[in-house]
Amino acid sequence: MLALEGVDAGYGATSILHGVSLEVRAGEVVTIVGANGAGKTTTLRTIAGLVTPTQGRITFEGEDVTRLSGHQMVERGVTLIPEGRQLFPEMTVRENLLMGAYRRAARGRQAETLAEVLDLFPRVRERLDQNAGSLSGGEQQMVAIARGMMARPKLLMFDEPSLGLAPIVVAQVFDVVDRIVKTGATVLIVEQNVFHTLQVADRGYVLENGEIVLADAAKALLDNDHVRRAYLGI
Amino acid sequence: MTDIPIPAPAAAPVPRAVPRLSALALAILLVALVAVPVAVGNPFVYHVFITICVFAALSTAWNIVGGFAGQLSLGHGIFYGLGAYCGMLLVGAGISPWLGMFAGAGLAVLVALAISYPCFRLHGPFFSLATIAFLEVFRVLALHFRDLTGGATGLMIPLKFGWTWMVFRDRWPPLAIAFGLLLLTLAIAWWMRGHRIGFHLVATRERESAARAAGVRTVAVRLVAVSVSGALTAMVGTFHAMYLTFIEPAAMFSLTLSIQIAMFALIGGLGTVFGPLLGAVLLVPITELARGWLGAKALGLHGLVYGLVLILVVLFLPNGLMGLAARFTRPGKAARGVQAATVAAAPRTAERPPVGDDIVRVEGLQKRFGGLHVTNDVGFTLREGEILGLIGPNGAGKTTVFNMISGFLRPDAGSVSVRAPDGTWQHPSRPADYAALGVGRTFQIVQPFAAMTVEENIMVGAFHRHRDVGEARAVARETAERMGLAPWLGAEARGLTIGGLKRLEVARVMAMRPRVLLLDEVMAGINQTDVRRAIDLMLSIRDTGVSIIAIEHVMQAVMALSDRVIVLNSGQIIAQGRPEDVVRDPTVIEAYLGKEFVHKELVHARA
Amino acid sequence: MDVFLQVLANGVMLGGLFAIVSVGLTLIFGIVKVVNFAHGEFLMVGMYLTYLAVTGLGLHPFAAVILVVPVLFLMGALTQRLLIQPLLAAGDHHIQIFATVGLSTALINLALLVFGADIANTPSSGLRQPVEIGPVRVLLGQVVILGAAIVLVAGLQLFLARTRTGRAIRAVAQNRAAAELMGIDVDRIYALTFGIGAACVGVAAVLIAPLYPTSPNSGTYFVLIAFVVVVLGGLGSIRGAFAGAILIGLIDSVTGFYVGADMREVAVFGVFLAILILRPSGLFGRQLRLSHVSP
Repeated sequence: MLALEGVDAGYGATSILHGVSLEVRAGEVVTIVGANGAGKTTTLRTIAGLVTPTQGRITFEGEDVTRLSGHQMVERGVTLIPEGRQLFPEMTVRENLLMGAYRRAARGRQAETLAEVLDLFPRVRERLDQNAGSLSGGEQQMVAIARGMMARPKLLMFDEPSLGLAPIVVAQVFDVVDRIVKTGATVLIVEQNVFHTLQVADRGYVLENGEIVLADAAKALLDNDHVRRAYLGI
Repeated sequence: MTDIPIPAPAAAPVPRAVPRLSALALAILLVALVAVPVAVGNPFVYHVFITICVFAALSTAWNIVGGFAGQLSLGHGIFYGLGAYCGMLLVGAGISPWLGMFAGAGLAVLVALAISYPCFRLHGPFFSLATIAFLEVFRVLALHFRDLTGGATGLMIPLKFGWTWMVFRDRWPPLAIAFGLLLLTLAIAWWMRGHRIGFHLVATRERESAARAAGVRTVAVRLVAVSVSGALTAMVGTFHAMYLTFIEPAAMFSLTLSIQIAMFALIGGLGTVFGPLLGAVLLVPITELARGWLGAKALGLHGLVYGLVLILVVLFLPNGLMGLAARFTRPGKAARGVQAATVAAAPRTAERPPVGDDIVRVEGLQKRFGGLHVTNDVGFTLREGEILGLIGPNGAGKTTVFNMISGFLRPDAGSVSVRAPDGTWQHPSRPADYAALGVGRTFQIVQPFAAMTVEENIMVGAFHRHRDVGEARAVARETAERMGLAPWLGAEARGLTIGGLKRLEVARVMAMRPRVLLLDEVMAGINQTDVRRAIDLMLSIRDTGVSIIAIEHVMQAVMALSDRVIVLNSGQIIAQGRPEDVVRDPTVIEAYLGKEFVHKELVHARA
Repeated sequence: MDVFLQVLANGVMLGGLFAIVSVGLTLIFGIVKVVNFAHGEFLMVGMYLTYLAVTGLGLHPFAAVILVVPVLFLMGALTQRLLIQPLLAAGDHHIQIFATVGLSTALINLALLVFGADIANTPSSGLRQPVEIGPVRVLLGQVVILGAAIVLVAGLQLFLARTRTGRAIRAVAQNRAAAELMGIDVDRIYALTFGIGAACVGVAAVLIAPLYPTSPNSGTYFVLIAFVVVVLGGLGSIRGAFAGAILIGLIDSVTGFYVGADMREVAVFGVFLAILILRPSGLFGRQLRLSHVSP
C-alpha cells in the first residue's frame, strides 16, 4: 500500500533521514522503533507530506506521492495523528472532530462516522461541547485519535500516542489503539513503549541515526537485545 | 553525512582580492560623490549630490538600529525632526547650528532612550507600529505648539550667511558638510560593526536567547545602538534644515521620509555597512531627476518606482544589492554538506584533575506551566571537574531544569547557587549573571547566528572574556581548531549541517571559557564516528577542569562520559548514581520502556 | 447635557467608521499573522473605485459594492499569493514588513500619478443628510456605516463559527500544522482570508467615499487608527476590534471637543502606545500573545 524507497529528508540544510526504505501492506500494523532523534517523527511527517524528501520515492497505492503536500496526502487517505495531540484549542471537541472529517471522502458520511467514533470513545462524547484546550492530556489524546479516525483514512499513522501521559492514561490509550488495530485498519505507529507496540504490531523497523538498521517480524524484534540497543545503548 | 574524513575544501576562505576590490569600488564611489558635482559645476547636480549624501547618511545611521540591531524603526523622522527644530530654534536664539547640531543630538539620545526602553519589548511589526505612533505624536505636538515651532506655517531660517550659520551662497560648502556627515556616519557604523558592540548587536538580532546565554546584555547594547543612531540622524537633520532653509512639521516628522531611509537600507543591504549608501546612491537621483525633469506631471512617479523596487528586492534579493554583489564575488556553497567530516580527534593532554568541591547547588526546584507540574522538587549538586549526566524519556522536563539553572526560566520555588571563583556562593538570576559566573550553556535546538560566519559566531562567545577584536578572533580560531571547525571559519553558519551546527554551538560556549558547561543534547543527530570524537572532546574539556552537566539521549555517550547520572521522569528525579547502576535500575527501565518490559526481564532472569 | 450626548453620539458614529475599516485588518492579522501595512491603501483604492463608479457610471455609491468588493477581494488574494506567500517560509519579519510597506508606497504613488494630488469628492447622494435621533443629530451615512459595521462583524462571526470554510479558517489560525493534517489547503485558506479581509475594506470604502474626500493619502489616516483598534481589541479578535473601535471613536470625539481638535491624535496614539507597551494582549483579547506573530 505504502512504500518508501531510499528516502532522504530533513529540515532546511539539516538532513535527518538517509536512504530510508520501508513498506506497509494493506491491513498490516507496522511500527518504527528507535531512540530519540533517530528520525521516527520525521519519517511519519515525510509520509504525511509535511516534509518533502530530497531524495528517493514514496508511493501510495501505486501512485507516486513523493512531492505531494500534506492536505493532498489526506485526500488520498493518509492521516497522521501527530505527536503532542495538536488539537485546535479554542474549538469545541465537536468542532475538532468535524475538522477531522474535512477530507472530501469523509464529508458525506460525517454524521455516521461521528456516531461510530463516539461509540469507541465514550469519554469523548461527554466532552463534546467543551473547548478542546480545557481537556486533560489523556482526554486530548483521545480526541486527537478520534479526530484522526473521522477522516476514515486508509492508512492511519500514530506518533507517540502515549507521550507525556500518566501511566493509567497510557493504558487507556493503548486500549484504544488495540481496538483500532482489531478493526483491521492499516496502521503505522511510532511509540516509545516498545514492548506494548511490538506485541500489537505485525512487523517493525529499527531506525538509528536516520537509517533503517533492522527490519523484522515484530515477534522477532521483541528479543530484548535489539530494543535495548536502540533505546538504552547497552 | 559521512564517516570518512574529507579534507577541507580549498575554496572555503574568501580570496583576498575581493575585499581589496570592494575597498577600491567604495573609494571610487565616495570620491565620485564629491568630484562629479565639482567637475560639472551645475547647481542642480550639486543639489542632487548633496541630497544623496544626506540620505545616505540618514540611511546609514538608521541601519545601526534597523540593520545591526534588527529593530525596524519606521519613526526615525522623530530624530531628524528634533535635530532640525533644535538647530533652527537655537539659530533663532543666536546660537550657531554647529552647536545646535550637538544639542539636537543630545536631545535625540534622551528621546531615543525614553522611547526605546519600553518599545524594545515589542517585536517585529509591533515595534514598527509603535515607532510610527510616536512619530505621529511628535508631528501633532509640533503642529500644536505653534508658539515654539511656528505650527503648520513652519519656520524660515534667518538668512545669515557664512560658516558660522551653515548657510552659504556657494554650492560647494554644503556639499562638503553633507559629505563630511556621511563619512562620519559611515565611519561610526563601520567601527561598530567591526567591534564587540557590533557583534553583540547582530547576535542579539539573530538569536536573542543565544546572545543572552553568551553573556550579551541585549537591552543595553540595543539602547546604545538607538542612541548612536538617533544622535547621528539628528545631526544630519540640523544640517538638512539649514540647507533647506525652511522646515515644517509635516516634512520633518514625516512618515514618508522615515520609510524612505529604511527603504534605501533594505534595498542596499540590511545590516551591511555600505548597503545604505549604495541604496541611496541608486535611488535618490530617481526622485530628484523626476522632480527636476518631469515636474508636476510625474508626481508620484519616483514613489511608485521606490515601492516597486522595494517589492522586487524583498521578493528576489532579500539581502539587497550588497547580497547580490556578494553572490558574484564569493565562492559558491563549497562548504555545504561536508562539515560533518572531521572533528579533530582531541588530544588528551592533561591528566584528569581530581573531582573537587561542589560548584553548583540546586535545591527544591519547582515549576508549573498551567496545570502541568513540569519540575517537581528537583535538587542535586555538581562538583568541580565532574561530568553529570541528565537523562530521562521525552517530556521528562530536562530542558526545563536547564532553563532554570541558566537564568532563562524563573523557578516557582527552590534555589540555584553557583560558587564564584573567589569561593563565595552566589544566587544568579538572569542569563547574564550566570554567564558572568562562568556558566555557559548550549541549546537543544541549535541557535546559530545564521547570518554570521562560523568565526564570528564563535567570536560572540569569545567577547565574553575579551574586549579586543584581535584577541577574540584568536580565541575563536583556536576554539574552532579544537572543535574541527577551522576549515569553515569563513562560511556562513546557515550553511552548516546539523553536525556542524551542534559543534558550533559547543564552540561558541567553549570560547567563553566557562567554568560550568551545560550541554543540551549535543550528540543528537550526529553520526557514530562523530559521537566517539565528541566523547573524547568532552573528556578533554573536563580534563581542563571544567564541570559539565549534559542532557544526553545517546546512551553510549552517557555511559562513557558521566561520573554520575540523574534520571528525570515526569519532572521528578527517579534515580541517580553511577551510570552502569542506573541503566539497570527497574524504575528507570520502566520509565523508558514501560512496565511490561521490566516484567519480561524478570521472567527472563528467572528462566 | 445635550452637548455631551452629541459628543458621545459623534464618538459612536466615528467608532462605527473605525470598526468597518479595521475588521478586515483584524481578520488578516488574526489568521495569516501578517500586519498588512498596505491596508489603508486598499481602502484608498476602494474609495477611488467608488468615485469612478459614481461619477463615471452614474451608479449610486451603494451600488458600487458589486464592483468594488470583488476587485478588492482579488487584490487581497493576489497580494497574499504573490507577495506574502513566498515570504512566509522565510519567517523574517523585516522582509514581511517591507513587502507591505512597499506595496503601500507603490499604491499611494500610483494614485498620485493617475489622479494627481487633488481631492476627489464622491457625490454624497443624500448620505450627508442629518438624522435626528432623540436629542442628537448625526448624518444618515454615518448611521449606515455603523449599521454596516455591526452587520459585517456579526456576519463574519457567524461565517467563522458555522460554516465548514469558516471553521477551516479558524483551524488554520489555531494550529497551522494540524490544519494541514486535516486536509486543509493552508495556502488557499490564507489567500481566501486575505481576500475576505480586503473585501471588508471594500465595503468600508464604498460607505466612506460619499462622506469623506478621497486623496492618495486617504488611507494613511484611517490605517493608523485601524492599527490602534486592532491592538486595542486584542490582536485578531473581531469582536474585540469592534469594541476597541467604539472606544477609540469616543476618545477621539471627547478629546476633540473638550481638549482641542488637534490633540485628538495625541490622545488616540497615547492610548495605543500605553496598551502596546503595558498590555500587549489588548483590552479585550485573551488569545494571541505577541509571540504568535513571531514564531
